[in-house]
Amino acid sequence: MNVIMPQLGETVAEGTVSVWHKKVGDTVAENELLFEVSTDKVEVEVPAPASGVITEILIGEGETVDVGTTLAIIADASNGAAAGGAGETGTLPTPLGVAPATAGRAGADDPPLSPAVRKLVAEHGLDPAAIAGTGRGGRLTKADVLAHIEGGAGGAAVGNRDPRGQPLSPVVRRLLGEHGLDAAAIAGSGRDGRIKRDDVLAAVSSRGPAPSAAKAPPAPVKAPAGGQVIPLSKIRKLTGAHMVASKATSPHVLQAVEADFVRIERARKAHGEAWKAREGFGLTYLPFLARAVCRAIGDFPHINASIDGDNLVVHGRVNLGIAVDLGFEGLMVPVVKDAHTRNVAGLALAIRDLSTRARDGRLTPDDLTEGTYTLSNSGPFGTLITAPVINQPQVAILSTDGVRKKPVVIESEDGDMIGIRPVGVIAQSFDHRAFDGAYSAAFLGRLREIVETTDWSAEIG
Amino acid sequence: MSARKKTQSQPKSRARARSLAPNIANDDIGEALRLKLYTSQLECRQIEQKAYDLFLQNLIKGTSHLGLGQEAIAAGFATAMQPKDYTFCTYRGHNHTLARGASMEGVLGELMGRQCGLLGGKGGSMHLTSVEHGAMGSYAIIGAHLPIAMGAAWSAQYRGTDQVSVCFFGDGTTNIGAFHEALNMSQVWKLPVVFVCENNLYMEYTPISQVTAVEHPAADRASAYGLERIVVDGNDADEVYRTAQTAFARARAGEGPSLIEAMTYRHSGHSRADPATYRPEGELEEWLKRDPIPSYRKRMLEFGIKEKDIVAVETNVTGRVNAAVETAKASPPPSNDVLMTEVWADGGSAWRN
Amino acid sequence: MAELTYREAVAAGIAQEMKRDPNVVFLGEDVAAAGGVFKTTVGLLEQFGPDRVRDTPISEQAILGAAMGAAMTGLRPIAEIMFSDFFAVCWDLVANEMAKSRYMTNGQVTVPVVVRTANGGGVRFGAQHSQSVENWAMAVPGLKVVAPSTPADVIGLLAASVRDDDPVVFFEQKSLYATKGEIPDGEHVVPLGQANIARQGKDVTIVALAAMVPRALKAAEILASEHGIDATVIDPRTLVPLDTRTILEETIKTGRLVTVEENPRLCGWGAEVVSIVSEEAFWDLDGPIVRITTPHIPLPSADALEDLALPSVERIVETIRTSVD
Repeated sequence: MNVIMPQLGETVAEGTVSVWHKKVGDTVAENELLFEVSTDKVEVEVPAPASGVITEILIGEGETVDVGTTLAIIADASNGAAAGGAGETGTLPTPLGVAPATAGRAGADDPPLSPAVRKLVAEHGLDPAAIAGTGRGGRLTKADVLAHIEGGAGGAAVGNRDPRGQPLSPVVRRLLGEHGLDAAAIAGSGRDGRIKRDDVLAAVSSRGPAPSAAKAPPAPVKAPAGGQVIPLSKIRKLTGAHMVASKATSPHVLQAVEADFVRIERARKAHGEAWKAREGFGLTYLPFLARAVCRAIGDFPHINASIDGDNLVVHGRVNLGIAVDLGFEGLMVPVVKDAHTRNVAGLALAIRDLSTRARDGRLTPDDLTEGTYTLSNSGPFGTLITAPVINQPQVAILSTDGVRKKPVVIESEDGDMIGIRPVGVIAQSFDHRAFDGAYSAAFLGRLREIVETTDWSAEIG
Repeated sequence: MSARKKTQSQPKSRARARSLAPNIANDDIGEALRLKLYTSQLECRQIEQKAYDLFLQNLIKGTSHLGLGQEAIAAGFATAMQPKDYTFCTYRGHNHTLARGASMEGVLGELMGRQCGLLGGKGGSMHLTSVEHGAMGSYAIIGAHLPIAMGAAWSAQYRGTDQVSVCFFGDGTTNIGAFHEALNMSQVWKLPVVFVCENNLYMEYTPISQVTAVEHPAADRASAYGLERIVVDGNDADEVYRTAQTAFARARAGEGPSLIEAMTYRHSGHSRADPATYRPEGELEEWLKRDPIPSYRKRMLEFGIKEKDIVAVETNVTGRVNAAVETAKASPPPSNDVLMTEVWADGGSAWRN
Repeated sequence: MAELTYREAVAAGIAQEMKRDPNVVFLGEDVAAAGGVFKTTVGLLEQFGPDRVRDTPISEQAILGAAMGAAMTGLRPIAEIMFSDFFAVCWDLVANEMAKSRYMTNGQVTVPVVVRTANGGGVRFGAQHSQSVENWAMAVPGLKVVAPSTPADVIGLLAASVRDDDPVVFFEQKSLYATKGEIPDGEHVVPLGQANIARQGKDVTIVALAAMVPRALKAAEILASEHGIDATVIDPRTLVPLDTRTILEETIKTGRLVTVEENPRLCGWGAEVVSIVSEEAFWDLDGPIVRITTPHIPLPSADALEDLALPSVERIVETIRTSVD
């Protein structure tokens, strides 16, 4: 029986095998964990589709292949032949003497840039070294570049011409990439100043014992006295890369309002116990805020948008991402799809489900895609204010922090007086390319108004 | 080459065949050889009929050119040959290959594209070959094998053996260039090659008479190459046998090539795809009356061979044919790894390092 | 070491093999008594007799058929097709019969035949007697294809071809018949499938065949002395089996490849070499690959026109000078 690359989401066409839990020759039982697949958002555990012995592993760890590609073959343990009837009919044997000559090529380990990648990289002025490659052996695929472009990061161009407009030959491009050199910094001795292979090789050797190329493994880090070196986990690295790219893409502006949560509090007190008894978990501020955000977006739709080239793409649905911390080990942002169609109860249930599954590692790729706005909640830790990083390709993100009892001024007909109210700061980081401070401020103002004036008990439904 | 009467090749045998009381005492062929000739013809007939059936069952793909009705020529010559002699035939070569001793399951298996096929499934119906039996190939390009047969004769002459090279082809071949080149050069070099034209009256779908400048496409060209004009009844295995013997004797004696035109008729179309509607009405029926096999059976009885012995031969042949069918059917298709083999003598196909 | 002309080397090569193996026989038109129209087989009839060296009628199909039939039955024949253009007359025997019989019979039939022919132009014989057609043979699976450029290689490769159990088409370049070269003493055999690096350079790799080899070498001298371009020149010597390893290694060293082919442009042998290099050494190319060929026309007979058509030393120099920087 063939083990194939599963489809990790409706719009996903590729996947990377990240971990094999079995090797060739191992026996596996049906539904036993066989391998893991990753995209840049999630790692999915895949069980074996049948019992038997692994006779071949065709795609190794780190390789990216199309959905449907055969990754491994399980032989039915009973008769040793491929089980399930869908076995291979046999591949064309390798013709004698067809193996290509592998005469020495410098840096033969680093996969080169394909013509399609180079074209995209040139057109968008990108630095391929800054884009993670998910192709076979870490190769940068066209899809990687396209995904990166959607993420909107910029960088230095390599392309297929040097800054002077002279063509860069295949070997020159390969060498520039392998050694992390900039074509602009190399003088060309070829016709019309073209950079020749030997020019690059000369530049490499004159650089002396240079630091390794971008893709070379770094030297091991020494732990400081009394300290420790903790290698960054895959998810932390991915998150970090996303954050860096986000800050490099969007000019972040922070704005905040301070809101009186009394009405939400009242609703919580009134319905909390019954809710907990019925649903098994408590009713927090978060679903109320989520509802308020959806309503406020209704009045300020540009908040719920993305930048695509020279356009602001305003989304019709509100797919609300909820940032979930995984026990200090990482951050995930599962998405409540069509949040604007749900009430507080619905949102509470959805948020609960997503965060539970996030912590259990049971999110599906569809749970992590197509978000249009994000809520980040540091409230439980009692923070004052947070300036969150925008979740690309969205244009804004909201942070809710600690709600504490504070003395506030309450205005009434009879004059101002001091009261005790639950108060919290709601802060939005927005992308100044999408709209200005006034629009964001107006949105926040409306949000506070909704928080402070809604009859939340009625909203719980 | 001494002059001979043009119209008769074997006056003696014609007289014998027509007598009402066969003269057994003067029978130069004899019972054993007759049974052998009959067996050979029967094997060819039954295998070709099986090929026909298997094609209808879609177990034989592509195309096949059946020699139904032409068995006497293949049997007659093969019986007159020695195992060391070479034969070359056309794509209508199942009979000729069987008659030299190739296995039945080898022939059927090859038609069905199976491992047990003579060629391992790589050549197909049109290229049946069994070098160990001297069957040096069936050739699909009209005329190509005439000079090749001549080459085998040259080799025999050069090596000083008395091997003969026998080349079978159809009436249509007599109009292609290679026919003329081969005849001319064989005669000039006096090579031990016997060219046998099986004139079944049709060049593929066209009557041969419509496309040939002379009446007998082979025999009437013989004189152009200094060869004797020889026309025989290709449906009379005895006549064929005797003619073959004469030609072989000449060749082995170093007297050079012969060109024999054997008149016959094919019962089926040119190939499996051909329903042969171009034949005039009644022509097939007329020739079926002269079907070599029932005629020969009748003759054997006339010569006093016992019915039960004949039946024993028939039963034996049928049994072996049926067994061969089963063997061939049970044989698997060739394994994938033979695809890239045997282009070169080292068994491989590499064109580079 | 003796010095022989290319045409003398043909006779010497055939003689070397006929002497060694009594099964080697030779046939063709005007090859025996007349010693060949190009005088390439002078003396063979006298040395080996009329049973082994035979004149034939003008019957190309019969010549090749006879060679094949003899090869299938124990002999090792050499057949001559006078002008390689005439292959068109008997191509069935070469491409359908000799090339395919072993495969079709799954190895039952062996065809150890050598078909020699005078190939190429430059001698003002006109279009039907001047084409280089080694690419026709290269395109047929089941044929080995040999094209020597020096007298020594004529002998060595002819010996290897006769000793090879497969059908070999042996292209002698008629414009080289008068050229001279040193021949090693004793029996000389050059294995098929081994290219010769005729000149080692570092700036560009030239792959040239047969009559184009001396022109490429001359061009390389001029490029080095007048234009500061140091070229490697590779003579593949056989097209099938092809020494791709040497071609790839030498191309990777320089990063530039140029072919020099006498055949007409389309589907010339160089096209296949270029295809292999661009696929397997793409990332080592420092510039586009260039083919220098005869244009895609029949060859004219007037000497000025013919010289214009065939790749000349000047054209080779100029093309490389302008394309390699």
